[in-house]
Amino acid sequence: MEFHALGVHEIAAGVRAKKFTALDVFNECLDRTIACESKLSALITVTADSGRAQAREVDAGIARGEEMGLLAGVPVILKDNMCTHGIRTTAGSRILGYWSPPYDATVWRLLSSEGAVLLGKANMDEFAMGNTTGTSAFGPTANPWDLSRVPGGSSGGSAASVAAAYTPLALGSDTGGSIRQPASYCGIYGLKPTYGLVSRYGLIAYGSSLDQIGPFTRDLEDMALAMQILAHHDLKDSTSVAKGNIDFSLPMGDKNGNVNLKGKRIALVKDFQDFTLDPPIADAMRRVLRVMEEGGAEISEVSLPTVARYAVACYYAIAASEAHTNLARYDGVRYGLMVNTATSLKDMFEQVRSQGFGSEVKSRIIAGTCLTEPVRSEEYYVAATRVRTLIAAEFGKAFEKVDAILQPVTPSLPEKIGESDEDAMKGYESDLYTLPVNMAGLPGLSFCTGYARDSGPVPGFPSEPTSGLPVGLQLVGPRWSDKNLLDIAFELQKVLGAPQIARGGI
Amino acid sequence: MKLGEDDVRAIADEARLSLTDAELVGAVRYINNFLEMVDRFKELDLKDVEPFCFAETNVCPLRKDVPAVFPDAKDILAERTRDMGSFFKVPRIVEDAVGNRDVSCEPAMGA
Repeated sequence: MEFHALGVHEIAAGVRAKKFTALDVFNECLDRTIACESKLSALITVTADSGRAQAREVDAGIARGEEMGLLAGVPVILKDNMCTHGIRTTAGSRILGYWSPPYDATVWRLLSSEGAVLLGKANMDEFAMGNTTGTSAFGPTANPWDLSRVPGGSSGGSAASVAAAYTPLALGSDTGGSIRQPASYCGIYGLKPTYGLVSRYGLIAYGSSLDQIGPFTRDLEDMALAMQILAHHDLKDSTSVAKGNIDFSLPMGDKNGNVNLKGKRIALVKDFQDFTLDPPIADAMRRVLRVMEEGGAEISEVSLPTVARYAVACYYAIAASEAHTNLARYDGVRYGLMVNTATSLKDMFEQVRSQGFGSEVKSRIIAGTCLTEPVRSEEYYVAATRVRTLIAAEFGKAFEKVDAILQPVTPSLPEKIGESDEDAMKGYESDLYTLPVNMAGLPGLSFCTGYARDSGPVPGFPSEPTSGLPVGLQLVGPRWSDKNLLDIAFELQKVLGAPQIARGGI
Repeated sequence: MKLGEDDVRAIADEARLSLTDAELVGAVRYINNFLEMVDRFKELDLKDVEPFCFAETNVCPLRKDVPAVFPDAKDILAERTRDMGSFFKVPRIVEDAVGNRDVSCEPAMGA
């Protein structure tokens, strides 16, 4: 049986009902992983032995007649910046190449307590800095729809794993689009939850006021199930909000009925309309808008001029400043890479950090150091935190009138591996559609609208499967509206179809 | 104001990074492009705008500061490259009377 094609809820139900065992599911998903991995390189670590042991425990619990959790026997993959007790956790960096955390991240504790089984740790841009997975010290990951292209990043390994059906669920982290952009490039669902909804305890920090963990799935019910478990107040994370628990367990409605978006107020961003989009993405915007209108949604426009002009600069100023502070801890003394050839304490720090960090990380550390120096701090870092207030207020005002914004995830489809621009700033500009969401702590859901051909998108892709690249769009809502975004996407899925398992030569 | 190689080298030094010549050229270009980007803030009047914070609740989010037993204390000491039984193995940095420092990874420092 092809267990790897099943969804989270199907596997858990089957294991609980003793239709098949957790071990059989794990072994088959592992076979699938091994068969694809030589082409994709989506994982840094495969946890075959510990995963089998976890699967056996689930099966033993069931044999004893114990009540099993919501994820009984479901194989999952974690981005390699989430701590796993005794299992190497690298953040895609040489500096943590052999680090084994002595504790579990809260998200993994929550998933494993529901019976999830860890299959592996996913490749990622080093310390989550990048949007291709190409800055990983472990080499790039390929896009499972076209092996010559990037899967997006920084959670590219997690997205590629779910798209290629290693597992039905993976977790990523999103600081400026690192869940939504790879989900879009790989043709699956990716949710960046409201900041404060999911615990960041045990997540290796990049930009602490922006980082948020969220799930990748090929199925919306699976995503709701994952969020039901992950949205949990955690005393170990002081940014986790106590009132944040949202009921994701509510049913989403009739899968086969007509699209019903009556009463939903959805907006386009007026200030984004002059920016150029690749034709398949522009077409997808028009098409999804039509589906929304036909489903009874009220469509309007909102204006976000400060976001459009200042969000990119504001984001990178804050992210670099926070990164420089967070990455100061890697000094070769307490954990991670160490050297034996230093001649002084300062020399040791420099050798460890210079050998341990890649060039993108070094650039951002230098930028953050520069912006937070006393002579420049007020002019740049503090100014950025004030601009951020304006950006959040602008979103706040927009969401007084609408329930969600429909917008692109990226202006273009995934580029070829190694094709990234010499000028990193141009890459940064392409993040305009994702990073404002993190600035204001909003939820954002990336969903697949169909697949592109050279001549444009193919409508109704379930009946006309192609090997073209997936085309994703994004729904953004006010804080704590995560479930509403899933509900809207559920209605859209009736016309757009569910994401398919990638078949780009894997 | 554009930063030159010496400025960027000084910033890198502060961040405890040593750069190769090629990395330095890239870093100078990067940081100057970066500053040009954030110079946009000067178009805005920010003097009455508060710095951003997520102020949704008046409840202090900090938990009580009470000691607790870490259930896996031995795991903290179990890191592969540093494991010396019940000790951390760390580089020894010794400064002699004239300020010369010596680093050696051979001896173990007691916890």
